[in-house]
Amino acid sequence: MSIQNPLAPDATAGRTGPPGDLERTGRFGTAQFILIGLGGLILLSFVRAVTGASPLTAGGTVGATVALAVPIGLAGLGGLWSERSGVVNIGLEGMMILGTFFGADFAYFSHSPWMGILGGVLGGLIGGLVHAVATITFGVDQIVSGVAITILATGLARYLAGVFFTGQGGGGPTQSPSIPQFQALKVPGAESFFGKIEAHHWLVVSDVAGLLRGLTTTLTPFTILMILLFPLTWFLLWRTAFGLRLRSCGENPAAAESLGVPVYRMKYIAVMVSGVLAGLGGAFLADFAGIYREGQTGGRGFIGLAAMIFGNWRPGGLAAGAGLFGYTDAVQSRGQAKSVHALLLLVALLLVAVGGYLLWRRRLRPAIAGLVGAVLVFIWYSVTNDIPVEFVPYTPYIITLLVLAVASQRLRMPAADGIPWRKGQGS
Amino acid sequence: MMNLRSKRTRIAVAGLAVLAMTLSACSSSKNNSSGGGGGGTGSTPAKKTVKVGLAYDVGGRGDKSFNDLAAAGLEKAKADLNIQTKELSAVQGESDQQKADRLTLLATAGYNPIVAIGFAYAGSLAKVAPKFPNIHFGIIDDNSSKLPNVEGLVFAENESSFLVGVAAAQATKKKNVGFIGGVQTPLIQKFQAGYAAGVKAVDPSIKVQVAYISQAPDFSGFNDPAKAKVIAEGMYDGGADVVYHAAGGSGSGLFQAAAAKKALAIGVDSDQYQTATADQKPYILTSALKGVDTAVDNFIKDDAAGKFKAGSVRFDLKAGGVGYATSNPIIDPYKAKIEDFKAKIIAGTITVPTTP
Repeated sequence: MSIQNPLAPDATAGRTGPPGDLERTGRFGTAQFILIGLGGLILLSFVRAVTGASPLTAGGTVGATVALAVPIGLAGLGGLWSERSGVVNIGLEGMMILGTFFGADFAYFSHSPWMGILGGVLGGLIGGLVHAVATITFGVDQIVSGVAITILATGLARYLAGVFFTGQGGGGPTQSPSIPQFQALKVPGAESFFGKIEAHHWLVVSDVAGLLRGLTTTLTPFTILMILLFPLTWFLLWRTAFGLRLRSCGENPAAAESLGVPVYRMKYIAVMVSGVLAGLGGAFLADFAGIYREGQTGGRGFIGLAAMIFGNWRPGGLAAGAGLFGYTDAVQSRGQAKSVHALLLLVALLLVAVGGYLLWRRRLRPAIAGLVGAVLVFIWYSVTNDIPVEFVPYTPYIITLLVLAVASQRLRMPAADGIPWRKGQGS
Repeated sequence: MMNLRSKRTRIAVAGLAVLAMTLSACSSSKNNSSGGGGGGTGSTPAKKTVKVGLAYDVGGRGDKSFNDLAAAGLEKAKADLNIQTKELSAVQGESDQQKADRLTLLATAGYNPIVAIGFAYAGSLAKVAPKFPNIHFGIIDDNSSKLPNVEGLVFAENESSFLVGVAAAQATKKKNVGFIGGVQTPLIQKFQAGYAAGVKAVDPSIKVQVAYISQAPDFSGFNDPAKAKVIAEGMYDGGADVVYHAAGGSGSGLFQAAAAKKALAIGVDSDQYQTATADQKPYILTSALKGVDTAVDNFIKDDAAGKFKAGSVRFDLKAGGVGYATSNPIIDPYKAKIEDFKAKIIAGTITVPTTP
């Protein structure tokens, strides 16, 4: 689309350039990622040591973070596929609901959690297919179709739950019986080895041990498979001809069509994959909870959609957003008010880091906003000893919003996102 | 092209909407006229025929908790009365108007008395009840109404919570217990207050960790077992070895965490030991019981006998409206002390707080 000068990749970074540049500035190399990760870890370790809030880096927090972030991330990934092809998918929540029901249903009746994955795929696929038929073939307004799917899924799940779960050991229209779950993969000896180091509360070392203990004792095969979908999506959409074609449908379908890309087919594939991913998110939620319960998605589909937008329609940004949300949610759930208070210090330091980076990039206005925010949060941290308990459950929303609002200043949605497309429209 | 599109849009949307409505409608209404066992004319002439309308809260029959208890109360009443019922359920995230419509529907169809299950009906009942002065309404968990045809059925949850608090205080080895509330509302804070008071009555040095899943008006906390599991794991990791929940449908998450960590959990409303899975049962110490079934049963029978009285009825320990479960034998060694406190509460020497 826009012409870029490969010899001067940073030349345009300082100012607001054409769309092509915007995506480039958000990209980091492997080295930067490792540096950021290390910096984050040291930061966390420092905050933990200063505040004494050990849940910040405890092994159990890692498991909880992953469990809370994955459903949101998967919903967001579903939104990413759909919107990259130009179809807004606000029905993610509904597809997720179908995923929770079918995931639980398949797992319960087959006595195998693996079948729950299949159930999630099928449930989400149904939702995705309805959305694809409505929006692509019939040109229905994409928002309206999405809302309708969410309403429909709620009713359908309740109806089917009544049919399948009534009389099954405590099940009924609103919940399933207990379903078979994936067990965490535990590396032998890791629990006690890392646990001992963690208990010493050494700076950095114990925090790394906590992280490793979480990674070696709390992840299930389902979790690992779902995390792999993020790099897989990145590879498929940004490193293959198929991905380029699919994204071209979301940027300029007329041009894509003129070059022989089957726009309808691409959009169909994208929206169906979108449904499958959201459905998997639902199945994951049901598997983690060990039960299907009406309303258990609790808006996670919408949060995923927001994470994707803040993540600039890219898997990396989305994963960062979902991860940050999951982490703060895990910390507030596990540690309550004291840990949340410690998080304030972390947020202040994070805002300083982001603000400093933006300053270095000469993006003055957001940099100043970030630094002012940092000062305000730090004042709040130092003059209080606690956080009102009413505020605690909202922490993940506020912190994610704060950090991402500063970090993602220049978002660019796919150019033809949300615009219905009729075959031959461009000619 | 725009015209064509919008026409199609309208048709498709209308189709989806109708389908959605149909599905939720056929799942939420349940219309059964029960003969009340004996049935035939003359065989049970003493049985009086009443038409009872029941408006459930979100969940309806089959929630293994609150609504099922109300349904059990209805079944109990059927033993003595010839009852025709219409049972309708609320849906997630509905408006007050939808609740009002449901009550109006029952009232215009001639059901009398009508029982509204859950405090969520308080607002809509205040609007509907004055329009039907001849119909008697009962509402569970709310005593705000001053209308002449409304009876509020409320419970002393703080007293049952106090008793399970006494159980928790005796069972804890680490002197650290937890409480998980579904949604922070005055009703759920009553559970917290009673529980903490019970724990402290046994040993003031025991630490009580408190967490709420969501804040009102976000009621997702009653339906989020995943979140309850994460919170419970955090409490057990944080040193607690007994955790009590008042979180409705989220509670199954606590039981899972308890089984995984091999620590104790306490159920709520009904005896949750009975409905737990085999691997969770050993870890469910007891449950704080709430006699919604007794309340519904009494309300229907009293009304049929012409003993309806406006205002509110409180079901407390004294009236046998609340209590604790003893189905898991591990509670046995702690029973003596619990009974001791129970007697003191009934005698009035201990007053259990209602706010934390």
